Amino acid sequence: MNLDWLDAFLLQGVFRVVMVLGLALLLHLQMGLARIANFGVVGFWGLGAYAFAVLFVKVDWSLGEPWPFLISMAFGAAVAGLAGLLVGWLIADLETEGVLVGTLGFATSVWILAITEQELTGGALGMGGLKFPFDIGKTKANELLWFGILFAVVALIFFYVFRVHRSPYGRLLIAVGENEPLAGSLGKPAFRTKLWLFAVGSAGMGLLGAIHGVMAHLLIPESIGINVTLAAMVGLVLGGMARVWGAVIGVILAVGLFDVVVQSYLPLPRSWYTQTIPVLREMVFGATLIAVLIIKPQGILGAMRRDKLTRRMHGG
Amino acid sequence: MEFFTESIVIGLTQYAPLILAAMGLALIYRLSGLINVAYSETITLGAYIGMWINTTFGVGFYATLLPTAIGSGLVSVATYLAIFRPAKQRNAGVLEMIIISFGLSIFLRHSLQFVFGYPVRFYKVSRPDIIRVFDVGVTTFRLLALVSVVVLALLLYWIVQRSRLGLQIRALASDEDLAQVSGIRPLFVTVLIWFIAGAAGGLAGSFWGVGSNVAPLLGWRQFLLIFLVVMVGGAKNIGGVIIVGAITGVALAAMTLHFGQVLYAQLALIVAFVVFMKLRGSRSVGAGKV
Repeated sequence: MNLDWLDAFLLQGVFRVVMVLGLALLLHLQMGLARIANFGVVGFWGLGAYAFAVLFVKVDWSLGEPWPFLISMAFGAAVAGLAGLLVGWLIADLETEGVLVGTLGFATSVWILAITEQELTGGALGMGGLKFPFDIGKTKANELLWFGILFAVVALIFFYVFRVHRSPYGRLLIAVGENEPLAGSLGKPAFRTKLWLFAVGSAGMGLLGAIHGVMAHLLIPESIGINVTLAAMVGLVLGGMARVWGAVIGVILAVGLFDVVVQSYLPLPRSWYTQTIPVLREMVFGATLIAVLIIKPQGILGAMRRDKLTRRMHGG
Repeated sequence: MEFFTESIVIGLTQYAPLILAAMGLALIYRLSGLINVAYSETITLGAYIGMWINTTFGVGFYATLLPTAIGSGLVSVATYLAIFRPAKQRNAGVLEMIIISFGLSIFLRHSLQFVFGYPVRFYKVSRPDIIRVFDVGVTTFRLLALVSVVVLALLLYWIVQRSRLGLQIRALASDEDLAQVSGIRPLFVTVLIWFIAGAAGGLAGSFWGVGSNVAPLLGWRQFLLIFLVVMVGGAKNIGGVIIVGAITGVALAAMTLHFGQVLYAQLALIVAFVVFMKLRGSRSVGAGKV
């Protein structure tokens, strides 16, 4: 296959956009519907990546391909899901401040463990040995196939989130987010709903982290910083927190602008890309959060679109 | 015995700025119910302002403290007037307010990086003298930090709990309409609180900065601990924040000595505090913003 037309930077940029989109979609369920501000997205993502990598690299596998890879992937998602269950249990009955401190504390804990547990994670130097589970020729061809797999996973996440939005479970999430005591008094299990939401969302984030690890080939503690959480949050807020398509539009606009347009199409001096652009990107992201939430808190797409049942109930 | 005295002396002197910063964050939290993530950048800015005055005009560290406090206090007030006040007037929810402060924190942090670049900066000060306290060596800067923290803590405690202004603050925090009817000027009191909180944060930042170095991530690295101290110490009483801050400092120093690794100490504290909050149930904190 001739892939000369495909720029390696472009592929990596688009990969990052789709990756953040997956995170933003999962965050949409937590923050947009249930109104739980998960500031620890990167913690679940990073935990999934490291759990996958540790099992895949450190264990002496006797099984043939592709089982070690698939089992490790599932392990990464499962560990992140269990962590989500634990964090969900810790924060489910706390106020927004408590949620902030719990999720931020979790992300920091994962980062600390990635540095201190050198025997497992390689510490600050990083952990290599991650490779694609297939080899179809050139690096670029392998990366393109891996991108296809990521795209399929994110499409599945989109489908799931889309369905949740229009299901009784989605209405339950909205009810819990809008008025938890009321939902509880109507016999809805608010606490259990939040636990389940966190477990499933975190498992998805962990799986995406593992997929990232394979593409990056190397995991370093610096790559699991707050900027991952920020990118997902900016995309979601910009597009519209309460809308499924909000995550899609917002992430394409925000992350796409920097990681694809600026990275691959603008004629900027080379030296800018190493220091100036990343800093500028975060500045713009931060300013976007402030501007959107003050001027148009609902984001580009506006208020939540409710499903047919709710509209009929409210006579809309 | 040596372990204990060492932990207490190191804990109190090294983490004295933590108490100061936590008091500032708690003041804003208590008044407006807002956890201001951008407070970490007020701290960082304090370090930068002090370092800039110190290196540009060649004045000593102690002489930079007053302008640093005023400068960071003004920055804090500016963020309130430019960002948080308009947001509140537009009825932003608690979730939105926290995300706004998070955005502001990210924006300011990277603006500092944009202006000052990646290399860390240092105060130009002569090597501080080392004084032995209970046989533990402590630099004069750290000792001064502790003394200033004690003085400022007492002052803040007195202002909030005993003075007329404190009464106004507490009135405003519990019921804004009623406070206004009683002749309290909300804007004046609020601006004053943001100024005092910013000054406390800036001073904390400059003590941290002179102790090691000045970098854009200075405040953010400390933020989680400060935040935990405020949440666990409770918003009801500044005294609780001071006590929990002091315990945190000593515990961190003791665990760092024990593990030989400051990160493990932080990890243990994060876990302990979050579990504590879970056991206590933090609805009581939310209800008690008085």
